[in-house]
Amino acid sequence: MLRISKIFFWAIVAVLLAWQLPWLYNFFFAKSTKSPFTLYSSVIGDFAVIDFDEKDIIYTDLAGNIYTEDEFDTVLPTFYCRQLMADGRFPDTICGVKVNPHQVQVENFHARYSPSDINKPKIGLYALLESMSGRVDLQMPDDVFRITNEGIEFIDMESNTINEQKSQRFTEMMLRKGFKFPATTLSGNPTDRKEYDEGYVILDAEHKLFHLKMTKGRPYCRAIELPEGMTAKHLFITEFSSRRMLALISDTENGLWVVKRPTYEVVKTGVPSYNPETESIIIMGNMFDWTVGISDRESDRYYALDANDFSLLKSHTYDTPDSSIVGLTFTSYNDEFVRPRFE
Amino acid sequence: MIRAIFYKEWIKIRWYWLLALVASIGFSGFAMLRLARAVSLKGADHIWQVMIDRDAIFIDLLQYLPLFLGLGLAVVQFVPEMQRKSFKLTLHLPIKATTAVSVMLAYGAVMLLTTFIPAILIKFCYLQSVLAPELWQHILYTAAPWYMAGLAAYFFTAWVALEPTWGRRVLDGVIALLFIRIYFQPAKPEAYNDFMPLLTVVTLMLPLLSMLSLTRFRDGRQD
Repeated sequence: MLRISKIFFWAIVAVLLAWQLPWLYNFFFAKSTKSPFTLYSSVIGDFAVIDFDEKDIIYTDLAGNIYTEDEFDTVLPTFYCRQLMADGRFPDTICGVKVNPHQVQVENFHARYSPSDINKPKIGLYALLESMSGRVDLQMPDDVFRITNEGIEFIDMESNTINEQKSQRFTEMMLRKGFKFPATTLSGNPTDRKEYDEGYVILDAEHKLFHLKMTKGRPYCRAIELPEGMTAKHLFITEFSSRRMLALISDTENGLWVVKRPTYEVVKTGVPSYNPETESIIIMGNMFDWTVGISDRESDRYYALDANDFSLLKSHTYDTPDSSIVGLTFTSYNDEFVRPRFE
Repeated sequence: MIRAIFYKEWIKIRWYWLLALVASIGFSGFAMLRLARAVSLKGADHIWQVMIDRDAIFIDLLQYLPLFLGLGLAVVQFVPEMQRKSFKLTLHLPIKATTAVSVMLAYGAVMLLTTFIPAILIKFCYLQSVLAPELWQHILYTAAPWYMAGLAAYFFTAWVALEPTWGRRVLDGVIALLFIRIYFQPAKPEAYNDFMPLLTVVTLMLPLLSMLSLTRFRDGRQD
């Protein structure tokens, strides 16, 4: 007994040292490198960069050209649309295309997803809003749904009981469209603080993609054909103002795809690799191009895509070496779970 | 003999146990009353939505209660006996010293659990009446590491209390404090689910530490 006690005691001491000593070192000595603000400009055909030199802000691009603040506004006219409007400098055309400020603002979007958005405990209850109420403002529903092995179940929140009729109606519709229960993953944005609602994109038990929403109280379910050989893994519904796309998809080969609206065409982007489980992504898009920034512990990779066909226009990588040392930790930036791991 | 030890331990902790039971039930009841009031004022749908969208669990005020109950129980059970030096008498009973200490710790742990279980039942009974299984399980799973921390606090405090020298008590106390932090990592609800089996095994092994203190006590270590 005493021997086991001594081994257990030293095991606890070893765990605490492996946890606390690297933490202390990293807290006092580790430095992380940040890459400068970088956004692709179709006007100059290059990445525009805002960097800092001690206290001064430098407006530049990857070719080394230096801009004044006012010049920089015109390099990124869609991003600084409001500033250009306020100054009366908003152009009639950008890249030879006639534009107006409203059009630019509708087409602008940004999205950000981190690994912890995926790697986290999930409750498994989701709100399905009415997508076609005829009212301008969306309203939260009074029920939520869960997807089981047998079907979809709507639970009335006030009475905590299953709405059998609605559940049966939606289950039948989904089965009729070829949905195989249960779902493997789904993505929606159940909030009334948005312009419109597209419900959920769902991968069924056979990894087939479906779009589910509620229109005038009735189920709308549509199978979305995926390209041959592509296996979808993670879904991100978009619901951007432009309404030009339904969702982003990552596949098992770390490809990034776009589901276009209203055609449901699934198009591969020029992003070479994106793993949502370990890398964070930020996408800033406009009517001409997208800037896709993908970050992991070692680097920030920027890709410029054509907004129409999503082909790769340009890419740039900043090395962001992390000087922190590996140690035992119980939490991670990559997930929302508590468990021992070496990072 | 073991029954006699149980009786001796009961005499030592009975008033504290009653207080702990009242506190445990009282705090859980209060948390459920607060939730019931929120349900009646804002509707159950509001409660469901903030749980689903904003990670609310409505029992945050109970987070450190099991920890303090476990710590207090070990203090009441072991500190007076060590101060009065009557712990020596326990070791002279016609039973192995390790068995005697194991029985004392097991009795304390079980009595601590008897203060936790009614509180968990109160939460279960109310929550399952207003929430879907996914939601009440979400709350109870989130609270699981807190109750495990209560057990750990009990075992760690017993280890420190049974230690005969002050220098080593401080060192053991620091180790205990650092280890207890593992149960309270900043995390979203249900973040400990995967870790709970391992954490439970480690927590149930913590009484082994008290055997080190017992050995040092029997070896006559003192300041």
